[in-house]
Amino acid sequence: MFLSPALILFALYFVYPLGFVFATSTLDWNGISNARFVGLRNYLDNFQSRTFQISIRNNFIWVASLGFVQISLAALVAMILARQPRGWRFFRTVYFLPNVISQVAIAMMWAALYNAEYGAINQFLELLGLEHLTHNWLGEIGTALPSILIQQVFYIGYFMIIILASIMSIPESYYSAAQIDGANVLQQEIHITLPMIRPILVTAMTLAMAYGLRHFEATFLLTNGGPAHRTSVLGIQLYKMFSALDYGHANAIGGTLVIIGLVLIAVIRSTLGRHADASDMTQ
Amino acid sequence: MNGIAGTRLTFSDATAKVGKWLVLGFFFFFTFVPLIWLLLSSFKTNLELQMRPFALPAVWQIQNYVNAIQISGLPRLFLNSVVVSSVSTVLTLVVTSMAAFVFAREKFPLQQALLNVILAGVLVPIIALMAPYFRLTNALKLYDSLWALILTYTAINLPISTFLMHGFMKTIPKELEEAAVIDGASFFQRFSRVIFPLSRVGLVTAGTFVFLFGWNEFIYALLLTSRIQSRTLQLGIRFFVSQFFTDYTSMFAAIVLTIIPSIAVYVFLHEKIIKGLASGALKG
Amino acid sequence: MRRIISTLIVVALALVMTTPLMATAPQEEGEIVLNFPTFWVGQDSKAEPIADLVESFNAEHASEIRVVIEANPDTDGYRDKINTQMAAGQAPDIFVFAPDPTTFQYYDSDILMDFTEELQGSWRNDFVPGYIEESTKNGRTKSVPYEIGLTPIWYNSELFAQAGVDEFPATIEEFQDAADALKAAGIVPTSQMTGGSNAWTSMLWYSHIVGSLGGPDVWSKPLSDPLFVEAAEVLLRMYQDGNTTRDAVGGDAGVSGGHYMAGNTAMFINGPWYIGRIRGDAPETYAATRLAPAPQVGDYYGHQLGFMLSNLAAANTDDERKRDAVITFMQYMTDPDNVKLVSEAAGSLFAIKYELGADADPLQREFVRAASEATFVIGLFSSRYPVDVVAEFGQALAAMALGEATPAEFVEMLIEVNN
Repeated sequence: MFLSPALILFALYFVYPLGFVFATSTLDWNGISNARFVGLRNYLDNFQSRTFQISIRNNFIWVASLGFVQISLAALVAMILARQPRGWRFFRTVYFLPNVISQVAIAMMWAALYNAEYGAINQFLELLGLEHLTHNWLGEIGTALPSILIQQVFYIGYFMIIILASIMSIPESYYSAAQIDGANVLQQEIHITLPMIRPILVTAMTLAMAYGLRHFEATFLLTNGGPAHRTSVLGIQLYKMFSALDYGHANAIGGTLVIIGLVLIAVIRSTLGRHADASDMTQ
Repeated sequence: MNGIAGTRLTFSDATAKVGKWLVLGFFFFFTFVPLIWLLLSSFKTNLELQMRPFALPAVWQIQNYVNAIQISGLPRLFLNSVVVSSVSTVLTLVVTSMAAFVFAREKFPLQQALLNVILAGVLVPIIALMAPYFRLTNALKLYDSLWALILTYTAINLPISTFLMHGFMKTIPKELEEAAVIDGASFFQRFSRVIFPLSRVGLVTAGTFVFLFGWNEFIYALLLTSRIQSRTLQLGIRFFVSQFFTDYTSMFAAIVLTIIPSIAVYVFLHEKIIKGLASGALKG
Repeated sequence: MRRIISTLIVVALALVMTTPLMATAPQEEGEIVLNFPTFWVGQDSKAEPIADLVESFNAEHASEIRVVIEANPDTDGYRDKINTQMAAGQAPDIFVFAPDPTTFQYYDSDILMDFTEELQGSWRNDFVPGYIEESTKNGRTKSVPYEIGLTPIWYNSELFAQAGVDEFPATIEEFQDAADALKAAGIVPTSQMTGGSNAWTSMLWYSHIVGSLGGPDVWSKPLSDPLFVEAAEVLLRMYQDGNTTRDAVGGDAGVSGGHYMAGNTAMFINGPWYIGRIRGDAPETYAATRLAPAPQVGDYYGHQLGFMLSNLAAANTDDERKRDAVITFMQYMTDPDNVKLVSEAAGSLFAIKYELGADADPLQREFVRAASEATFVIGLFSSRYPVDVVAEFGQALAAMALGEATPAEFVEMLIEVNN
């Protein structure tokens, strides 16, 4: 009974659309003329395409960067802020602010920072006499993907807030007891905070990885997958195929993402999540 | 929740202290500079923005703000954004906290599988759903209404919010509920009196997420509406994107104008809601 | 706190409830309402003149036909929405699309209104010859040619003078000499870009070069024709030896246009819609700008790139009155006097015969002159190949410019996506 509103919405807005995605992924269809059933042809085509291979590799780089690096950074900052250093409320708000600003504006700024001719990074390097280190950051094979990754990984705001909220709801008595036992700050964090926030860390990591899989916007705005597809991800390819009215191949990418994601979630939850689940699910 | 620092040790080691402030300073720089940049850029010409992105404006272009204010119906768009974002937030929280409670506390066949399937919703690239959502909205006769966006945003956020609420509810100690059970509380009362208020942290974090999603969403806002009465702020901001040229500086001015209230709302609500919920002022 | 929140919720709900569920604008008895979603809104230079046209049309047909402009900013978002509506089988009453092999697939169904019969009659005489034929597929004309683009080479005559070059180069050898002279004077010769959805500026350079190599029928040749590799070699040279800016690889239209406006680069390519922008933002560059045909690379010289930018289309209907209303509106939009108004106010060019007034922008008049002096006019790569091949162009070009692909491999990458 409690589940029914969620299930109804889910059925309408996910089961039906996902059915549509999987059904059309087996068609040769431009959205306008009659469709032709081609079986798994679209999936095969995709996996054989070089661009698709680069994209899927990049997606896994995103999954790892967001899931491990971004969440670790978020947890680190959350732990620092949870001890309420001077101005922690202010920092908490400021760190979150990029989430309120439209991505278009943020991407514009980063494009300007990275620009080879008038970008701040190159100008700064030239100022230091390090001209040999200047790059066309978003336009070179070696620097393009790392440049976008760095831009995204350090925007920890949202996950930091989640983790911080979780740390701050740990009963204070746990810490005072440890203090009496002579545990220092680092020991407290490792032995009390980390185990206590484990379920939230797993949640945050799963979410971050899901975002890594369907990553689209920052890359679309900064490089559109270039140069030479080096920053492409599946979301970018999917969009390009939609724009070309190739619904079959586009939805085959959508289907692939859902399947990879399901496997990934199952793996995360059965490895990282097991401990937390076991202790909590015993009713 | 404000007293933890008093009893915990502070970083005594000098290096740890320096490290701590370095980390805080770095992230401050990383997040605050864009804001300042946005503000300064909103006073430039587009050519200045392109060629001297980090210089001060040569002449402060107030005109950008005039352009921004002149977008037709900006106040109406703003109001619609507030309505769509808040109603979808409330709806999402009510629906998903109930669902998450069941998943966190009850055992039934295929429970884990069902939860995983719902979570799969987080993975679907939103662009892939344009055609089905357009058909669905038309079938529900909601095209070009605020409800089209409210329902769509609620649904899109269902997986992520269920997931977050579930994560938070699992951290609530079961002893608290057991006391209520002993007092003869029903399933519903356990939810409304114990779990819902205790999940405030989860509610606020999930709620923030849902609200911001609605606030920043563009693709579906364009797809599912046509008249200004049912449109949201992001569409107004995009009025500066035309076929061959984007007037970024005026767009930035519009963004600045719309950010100020959202920052205020964020700061206000984040503090107040946590406190309000803590004192039990808002029970399910 | 509770009171504030509950008041907010009540206000919000009240607002939601008062918005009608469907788009039912007040409608007079017997009046035909036509929705016209378009991106000619906001800051688009055609926004005002088109709105004025629609207003006077509505006044002329008061209580019979009413056209309602539905503002859809963001051209990409607009295209996605139209594509989605087509896939759902629900075309808007009247809309605009950029004709290319991808969007001409709209013709495959009977969702679009067919104007073939109407365009056989006297209406046809209003159009510049050729455009209706180009808008006709399998004998059916399911859209009305409207705005067109012309993209000659723009050059900054001041910068050329500074470098001691008096004439715009007519051959590729002269072009190379001019580029060297410009570089010696500290000026970057060309604006280029591989970014955006179609690598616009460089894609235009490529189309110009291809035209010089292949002549008027070049686009009927397959991509496997050696001239496409040869053209790629010429384009590649523009990316080498400082012939363009360092940020060209990965740069978007803002980058390539910005460098030209700022006087960093001496040559650039774009259409008349850019006149207003450059006149406002960089008056000195505007005053120094002249137009020219591309330097000769192959057997042909003096051609221009012309293409259909936006065609008007409408949803098919069984309702004869509605059909008549749509056609009345289309004929009003394409009426030479009305087109002239839009053209002069917006700086754009049209597939309709009209004379620009004497007070039109001088640079815009230059465009008209360039078109009339052209030895022949060909389309663009992006108007001749589907959207995904055009998207691959920028990726393949970056690969070539970065030394990851040879010109032959560049063309192969395009062929692979085209298959």
